[in-house]
Amino acid sequence: MATHTQSFWTKYIFSQDHKVIGAQYLIVGLIMAAVAGFFAYVFRYHLAYPDAEIPLWGTLDPRTYNMLVTTHGALMIFWVAMPILVAAIGNYLIPTMLGTDDMAFPFLNMLSFWVFFLSAVVVVASLFVPGGGFDGGWTLYPPLSVDAYLNTNPDFWKALFSGGSLVILALALEFASMLMGGINFMVTTINKRARGMSFSRMPILVWFMNFSVVTFMFSVGPVIAGALMLLLDRVAGTGFYDAYRGGDPILFQHLFWFFGHPEVYVLLFPTLGVIGEIIPTFSRKPLFGYKFIIWASIVAIVLSMVVWAHHQFVAGINPYMAVFFSVGTILISIPFAGIILSYVATIFGGNIRLELPMWWAVGFLATFLIGGLTGLYLGSNTFDIYAHDTSFVVAHFHYTLFPITFFGFFAAFYYWFPKFTGRMYNDFLGKLHFWGTFIFFQLFALPIFFLGLNGQPRRMSDYTAFETLMQDWHIQFREIATISAILLILTQFIWLYNFIVSLWKGKRVSSDNPWQANTLEWQAPSPPPHGNFEVYPEVYRDPYTFGVVQVNGKQKDFIPQNEKLPS
Amino acid sequence: MNIFPEAVSTYAHEMDKLFWLITLFAGLGFFITIGILIYALIRFRYSPQRKPMTFRGNTFREFRWVALGMALLAFADFYVLYDEHDTWDKMMQTVPEEKDLHIAITGRQWNWIFTYPGPDGKLYTADDVIINEPNSTIHVPIHKNVVFDIRSVDVIHSVFLKEARFKYDAIPGRTITKWVQFHRPGKYEIICAELCGVLHSKMRNFIMVESEEVFQQWLDELYAGTNE
Repeated sequence: MATHTQSFWTKYIFSQDHKVIGAQYLIVGLIMAAVAGFFAYVFRYHLAYPDAEIPLWGTLDPRTYNMLVTTHGALMIFWVAMPILVAAIGNYLIPTMLGTDDMAFPFLNMLSFWVFFLSAVVVVASLFVPGGGFDGGWTLYPPLSVDAYLNTNPDFWKALFSGGSLVILALALEFASMLMGGINFMVTTINKRARGMSFSRMPILVWFMNFSVVTFMFSVGPVIAGALMLLLDRVAGTGFYDAYRGGDPILFQHLFWFFGHPEVYVLLFPTLGVIGEIIPTFSRKPLFGYKFIIWASIVAIVLSMVVWAHHQFVAGINPYMAVFFSVGTILISIPFAGIILSYVATIFGGNIRLELPMWWAVGFLATFLIGGLTGLYLGSNTFDIYAHDTSFVVAHFHYTLFPITFFGFFAAFYYWFPKFTGRMYNDFLGKLHFWGTFIFFQLFALPIFFLGLNGQPRRMSDYTAFETLMQDWHIQFREIATISAILLILTQFIWLYNFIVSLWKGKRVSSDNPWQANTLEWQAPSPPPHGNFEVYPEVYRDPYTFGVVQVNGKQKDFIPQNEKLPS
Repeated sequence: MNIFPEAVSTYAHEMDKLFWLITLFAGLGFFITIGILIYALIRFRYSPQRKPMTFRGNTFREFRWVALGMALLAFADFYVLYDEHDTWDKMMQTVPEEKDLHIAITGRQWNWIFTYPGPDGKLYTADDVIINEPNSTIHVPIHKNVVFDIRSVDVIHSVFLKEARFKYDAIPGRTITKWVQFHRPGKYEIICAELCGVLHSKMRNFIMVESEEVFQQWLDELYAGTNE
């Protein structure tokens, strides 16, 4: 246990403690979520009521609309989901679950956060530079994202301090930060496990966190090269993506999606880990298919590297090649279906305590199931020709990324809140928050599927130019989606209130292990002090030993990993 | 309300049938999984007396139900691929030998430019007729193979004829040749489906599908320069 003294600055600002760094990531991620959520409110309002003045905003012109949609997408993926799911949850849980005092490289960990913070500052600054924020779509497709074709002689400084270039720089900083964090995760996992914790005794969440950062590291290289060329096209007048000078705009799409598709799994894996911890604990039953889940994830990672062109079926790639990517895409559904079914099998036959974290876990499974199954429509190369670039895609990825990001985060939040604060949240407000989020999310995203199937393209600032897209039911469905989205955002204030009040006034937990779970973080004091453990635990078994057993003549239905049984 | 817009091309119905096939599989997958989940949540709800099971899925006997689920999904996946392949081949991998009308459709910010072959019937010759204005309407004959050369002069656009289930990106530097055959007359919107800048949502043209005779008349007027 660490005993050195800490000043305010080293304790809360330039902290090297993994829990403080996790909290810092979380706070920045939540602030960015508030910004991105507000943008979503503005443009959703505009879609439902194209002529109306938007409360708290005013009127919206098409350029600003494009900018808001672009920024919403980029922020939610790179500055909300990445820091919260990977960095915050990973930082909080990897050292505590492994029974160690901190990350392997605490200084690198701190550096990782501050580079991330800088990236967040840069991306916010990109909204305020002359010329306005970037409005070319979060996928940055050139030539649109180069501002002009035949951009042969740009003004270097002006081009550098423009919205698009700053977004690219912010992404570069963010990637650097996540690489530092990812290396830390891996080295910590390999070198700092508690005595007795073999790889096969690691909690599934630690496995998934490592899968997440490994997937990120494998896939991020090409997009860095692609973004650099894009930046040069913007600021130095090169022609990598300019067809008039021998470049090719499709090249960027390949480099981008080679990263962009695995990125989805970078975000999915941490949430699968969170759900994989919560379900056994509340079902009082061992995790089903621990080894299978690990191997299925490895298969999925390998496959995820060869599916990228399914984003480009209509983009002029060779139609014979598309079949290969379509096969890869549908193959990747199989390991993930196996993982989801393993979670259902874990629930089956348990003794299910429907506490709040379990609601979120079940809500994730139900919602993500729709997201996964609607992937079948888009994975089919033929149907994708019709569905591509319509709102069907928008609904599909909100049905995957919303449960991944928010159901995953809230499940983790409610589950580990008593551990890392030492206090309990308000259960009633928590349930209200769950049902509000669950119902309003479905009401928000389901209508968008139908709009998309009826041929409504995405990324349009309004549909008034197209008579066939302005039928009565189209307008009503857009209103339902918008009103539900607003209610969905408002519901989050219940959570915010619950969070803040419980943090100061919540009932103190009477036990360090309120959910009676087996993993090591529950053996630390609540909240864990600097250095986490009073005595470093030693591990004797796997983390999922649930079920009624006799210990010293007493009936127990769980045995923590570090509890030594009399032989 | 209809799920899909009216189906007016030769492969539109195949696309819609494919949708219902996938919906059958996805619906079965959804209701079976959700059914098991809800059943388990109710049947195994907490009771102090209940002894939870302890299987871990390590033997095939325990694992077979999950394996069955994966096998069913694999079957559904490959059945969809098998079923769709003819449509894919027709839409994407072939261009009909017999090009009844061959026109170029070129994206620009923010309207489509249409190039009709001149009286010599050949595209890309000196007598081509170019229509380049927002909201213009082009005419094509019904029941004929209409072949499009899809191009772009500035950024990426995407030709979307939703009633025909026709959508292909227009990429600068490339000419992508695709075809469609309409089998219902009418006036349909040509939408741009790829974000192409500020006025993306105002990029609109029309396509008028009509009988061979009316189309010929329009074409003659186009050559004479007398149509509207």
